[in-house]
Amino acid sequence: MNKPFIFKSEFWVPQYTGIKVYSIKEFIEALKIVDEFSIFYHLYINIFNYHNLPTFYNNSFSYWLYKNGHFLLAEKLSVIDPLEYYDLEELRNVLVQTLEENYNPTEDKSGQEAFYFSKAEREIIESVDVANNLDKFLEGIKKSSINSVFYHLVTSRIENKTLINDYSAWLTNLGEAKKAEKITKLDVYSMNLYKIKNKIIKILEEKE
Amino acid sequence: MIEEYIPFVGEETIEELFILSKKLNGVKVLHVNSTYKGGGVAEILHRMVPLMNALGVKTDWKVFKGDKKFFSFTKKLHNLLHLGYGEKIRSEEIVHYLKITYENFKEIDTENYDVVFIHDPQPMGLVIKKLPGQKWIWRCHIDTSSPDPNAWNFLENFLNAYDVCIFHMPEFVYERIEIPTYIISPSIDPLHPKNIELSQEEIFQTLTKFGIDPEKPLILQVSRFDRLKDPFGVLSAFRIVRKKYDCQLAFVGSFAEDDPEGEEVYKELLNLTSDDKEVFVLNLPPDSYREVNAFQRGATVVVQKSLKEGFGLVVSEAMWKEKPVIGSNVGGIKRQIIHGITGYLINSVEGLAMRIKQLLANEYFRKEMGYYGKERVKHRFLIIRHLKDYFLIISKILNSKS
Repeated sequence: MNKPFIFKSEFWVPQYTGIKVYSIKEFIEALKIVDEFSIFYHLYINIFNYHNLPTFYNNSFSYWLYKNGHFLLAEKLSVIDPLEYYDLEELRNVLVQTLEENYNPTEDKSGQEAFYFSKAEREIIESVDVANNLDKFLEGIKKSSINSVFYHLVTSRIENKTLINDYSAWLTNLGEAKKAEKITKLDVYSMNLYKIKNKIIKILEEKE
Repeated sequence: MIEEYIPFVGEETIEELFILSKKLNGVKVLHVNSTYKGGGVAEILHRMVPLMNALGVKTDWKVFKGDKKFFSFTKKLHNLLHLGYGEKIRSEEIVHYLKITYENFKEIDTENYDVVFIHDPQPMGLVIKKLPGQKWIWRCHIDTSSPDPNAWNFLENFLNAYDVCIFHMPEFVYERIEIPTYIISPSIDPLHPKNIELSQEEIFQTLTKFGIDPEKPLILQVSRFDRLKDPFGVLSAFRIVRKKYDCQLAFVGSFAEDDPEGEEVYKELLNLTSDDKEVFVLNLPPDSYREVNAFQRGATVVVQKSLKEGFGLVVSEAMWKEKPVIGSNVGGIKRQIIHGITGYLINSVEGLAMRIKQLLANEYFRKEMGYYGKERVKHRFLIIRHLKDYFLIISKILNSKS
């Protein structure tokens, strides 16, 4: 029998790491050593913080590069979808590699606007809502905050070291593979979380 | 009272706050600042403290008392930390600071609390009373990124006794800080008279009362009369705009009776604009919340052309009212405005003039930016988020091993 689904939610508060950089060279060196929850903060939490706005870029690394005139690097990093990774160290390596492959030291400048590395201090809470079947699951999703949706769709994957989000994993075990697949395909990196939540509700309500 | 926020943040967010607050069951929290009235810190605490209690976290607020000499020193200290220059600290001022701090020891009981928030430098010395097992947080509301070294040395004597400190943004943090540093933006209260919904009739009546034509585009800057807010730069930009656009400009602010510099700036502005019927320089009483609210809601474009700024929450207040905001690329303004999305960040009088014209010419831009501005404030700069951040910090430091 499928284990009950426990609805959780997540909060975070940024802690400044004290690492401030001005040039691309410094940025790459910092990225190699910074706490992995700093990468989490600037890539994943950034999705949450700006999900409802049509920002130029979805992660704060790209936005900083763009603001300082490094358009190519901004684009190269912007296409890296953090949802394709569950291992922050692997993601760190991809980011560093992408920067090193495309970095032109002659175009690097000092004296530009600084980048401040922060990291996320997280707290996970459990709600009283538990689902044992599809109806209860749908009810729980309807009552979920976007923090909760974000936790189950995005950050639980990092905790569980899997590319499959919580919702889809549970639905698959319930025998709802099609619904699970549809939820997996939702583009959280590019879409508003309210819309994502509504799409999940719609998928769950569909009769197949 | 917490339920009153459901229309703004949703029932599920409030429910989650209750769950989070249960983790702090039995914890006693104290906030200490140096005034009950006036200024952003007191304004937030007036709401924050009852909300923390309503969520079951026993919270008190006490005010540190000082005399004129003490506050004139802490004002100087503030300027030295924020601007990085000014009249040097004298040794007798330090002696007086310590004397007043000791006097407050008797008045302010900090012993019965698990977590103590000390706001800004004035009550900072109270940390001498810290007991083993207690957690003390220094909540700094000013930009100390490039302080006067002597002023910083003075502050550091106390700072290292704290467990953590909190700043509005990483850009405000001085690089010599060694204790853990958290980043929490300040917030606005949607239920405060300056942010509540107003009827169109009240907005019209307020504008008309001050001689402003509610049918004609209005550019607005709400700020103290202070050179650092660059009202003269705003006026220059307005004069460029006026060559092509029929519009009005209002400066809405106030100066205290004991603020000669404010009065000087106010009078200078009045003199410069005395023959211009489309410019309004309005010195309002400090508690004119509904009037300021009406001005912000009645404005076409809101500007904030500060030369240096703390956080500048007036930007979020205008964004909450769905106004496009053009602000200088300084301090907390650049954290609130997303350039090209909720307004524009500018670096000069010319930049300001160009962006005002762009917005006056395009109603679609104004509406779109206004919509996204409100969305941004709803998610990032409302008091409920601020409350949640405080709960998280309390939970984190009480569970930390150090």
